[in-house]
Amino acid sequence: MPVDGSGQVPVLAADRPDYRRLIERARVHSSVYTDPQIFADELARIWYRTWVFVGHASEVAQPGDYIRTTIGLQDVIMARGTDGRVHLLLNRCAHRGNLVCEAQRGNAKSFRCPYHGWTYRNTGELIGFPFNQGYGGKGTIEAELSLARVPRVAEYQGFVFGSLAPDGPDLAEHLGEAARELDRLARLSPEGRVELTAGWLRHRTRANWKLLAENETDGYHPQFVHGSIFSVTGSPIGALYSDKSAAVTRSLGRGHSENDLRPEFRKAGEPMRWFGTTADRVPAYAAAMRAAHGPAAERILIEGAPHVMIFPNLFVAEIQVFVIQPLSAGECVQHSTAVQLAGAPELNRRMVSQSVGSVGPAGMLLADDTEMYERNQRGVAMLAPEWLDLRRGLARERIDERGLRIGGATDETGMRGFWQHYLSLMEGA
Amino acid sequence: MTTPADGPENSGSGGTVASEFASVAAAVDATANGPRLRLEDLRTGKVRFLDALELETIVWLPDGHLTQLLDPSADRWREGPG
Amino acid sequence: MSASAQETHDPPAAGREQALRQVEQFIYREARLADEHDYDAWEALWTDDALYWVPAGGDLTVPAERMSVIYDNRSRISTRLAQLRTGRRHAQDPPSQLRRVISNIEITGEDHGDIIAAANFIAAESRERGVELWAGRVIYRLRPAGNELRMAGKQVLLVNRDQPLPTLAFLI
Repeated sequence: MPVDGSGQVPVLAADRPDYRRLIERARVHSSVYTDPQIFADELARIWYRTWVFVGHASEVAQPGDYIRTTIGLQDVIMARGTDGRVHLLLNRCAHRGNLVCEAQRGNAKSFRCPYHGWTYRNTGELIGFPFNQGYGGKGTIEAELSLARVPRVAEYQGFVFGSLAPDGPDLAEHLGEAARELDRLARLSPEGRVELTAGWLRHRTRANWKLLAENETDGYHPQFVHGSIFSVTGSPIGALYSDKSAAVTRSLGRGHSENDLRPEFRKAGEPMRWFGTTADRVPAYAAAMRAAHGPAAERILIEGAPHVMIFPNLFVAEIQVFVIQPLSAGECVQHSTAVQLAGAPELNRRMVSQSVGSVGPAGMLLADDTEMYERNQRGVAMLAPEWLDLRRGLARERIDERGLRIGGATDETGMRGFWQHYLSLMEGA
Repeated sequence: MTTPADGPENSGSGGTVASEFASVAAAVDATANGPRLRLEDLRTGKVRFLDALELETIVWLPDGHLTQLLDPSADRWREGPG
Repeated sequence: MSASAQETHDPPAAGREQALRQVEQFIYREARLADEHDYDAWEALWTDDALYWVPAGGDLTVPAERMSVIYDNRSRISTRLAQLRTGRRHAQDPPSQLRRVISNIEITGEDHGDIIAAANFIAAESRERGVELWAGRVIYRLRPAGNELRMAGKQVLLVNRDQPLPTLAFLI
């Protein structure tokens, strides 16, 4: 697609686009949503390099538990070893490349490939294979043929991340300021623990993954996209995302961003308002929180849960967790589940019920977001005006007391932060 | 992080296999991502979970191999290094 | 059970035939109302203790604790329909063009006076995005009310419920 009128996409020496000319401070070129070459580049430079959310520790609670998950296009097994640690393995037999695990989840301390019976520990080591004389006997080639391990695995508040790069910034550095948002979520559990055990909905979406990542903290769209459900239910959420709202959009650095709704909830000063209820309607939860946190409980119950997008694929929207799985330049899958808080059974059932109503293929919120993503993907394939505009709120941005860039509730501050980090990853060596 | 589900309340239906030499409770456990056999040495309370592939392997173990494992010095009452 | 007792409890063949016909006619009507987005008439089919359930994945235990595609009680059904009636439910604006075929209808049981019936379906959904083919099994809980039937439960088991699904914003 022409960028500079010459009819040619400007490329670097290695035949890669010049990303500085596609991503500017306040606008982004359409081709980054549609070009298969750019998608391939993203796999190499983002998905197979940076920290990517793969699952939650609570999904493999017992030794031997495993689930199938993904990093980019890679099929990944997340397993808990008998050492109690979480291991990430590529789901590919070292013999002929067959998928080793077919079930989405199970409990097995070792995996046996169905093709020729090669058998691996759930930590990756090859235990052996049938008729080993064909390989010169036992102990000949096992050491060099293991399942490939994701070289770096780390957890924060039970959220498990993997990086296919053997080195680079550690998880703490990658999460940066976003870590405290996961802390805020965990703090809402009387036991300080989040669990993702309600199962996942998977929503096939014919749109580029970045349209979703940008939308997650776009405070400009809710009144339009979700006006139908807000009007039917009398939801106060719409007002949180208006020009009169005291909420702010914050760029957290490293591509992470949030809609910080706390200023609005503090103004109201009512515990549990963030959850659309009052403390006396969830008395056991409120009592457990007051017992766990003492006088600090009131503030925690007033401020509620975070609304944070963690680059590139994890989104916590108060009581839901979303994961973005890219498939191609024009397709991705949205995974969604309800947050479950250890020690809060009274809240957990309500969170499942509200989430089922809101998210997934039939969700009264998310189906409409997804309709926008899919129409947006068709729109960005049009030839002109070529660019997507990102300037909203640029002139009124400021730096907050933490040194982070913030804008108004409906401003595109979070998106600009996303693109800045994207550019640093894509144009780096 | 891990909380092994080794309490009897988490066990499914099962039974006890006992002799004058040992006493072991066996039950199919359903608390993990897939079913597994929960074995408990009732004399010590020690618990082990076996998955389906391990059980199949035991079924196919030649008697001689199993007998070697029964040597008290093999593992549990082993002395010294090596 | 003796042969004579069997006969007393078993409705005569003509009665069974009539019950099946009534169930079939109800199911066909329900399908047509859903296909044609006749939200008022479709809503009127439901009882107050309604449960409209489209599970995700294979686990059908403890639905209140697991994510489902749809798990609507009567009040949630009303909300879902009210959203559709606004005309601003983007995922159904414009509404999908729909036709479904229902077959293999059987009365599979009885529970506290409700008739449990099951059927298979294939639905074609056309939107600007393209034609989506939906298929699955439906289990109905139907309650006799005078000469009519009302719907107390509809469970839709999609054949691909363990796979990523596209947007499902119409009445399946």
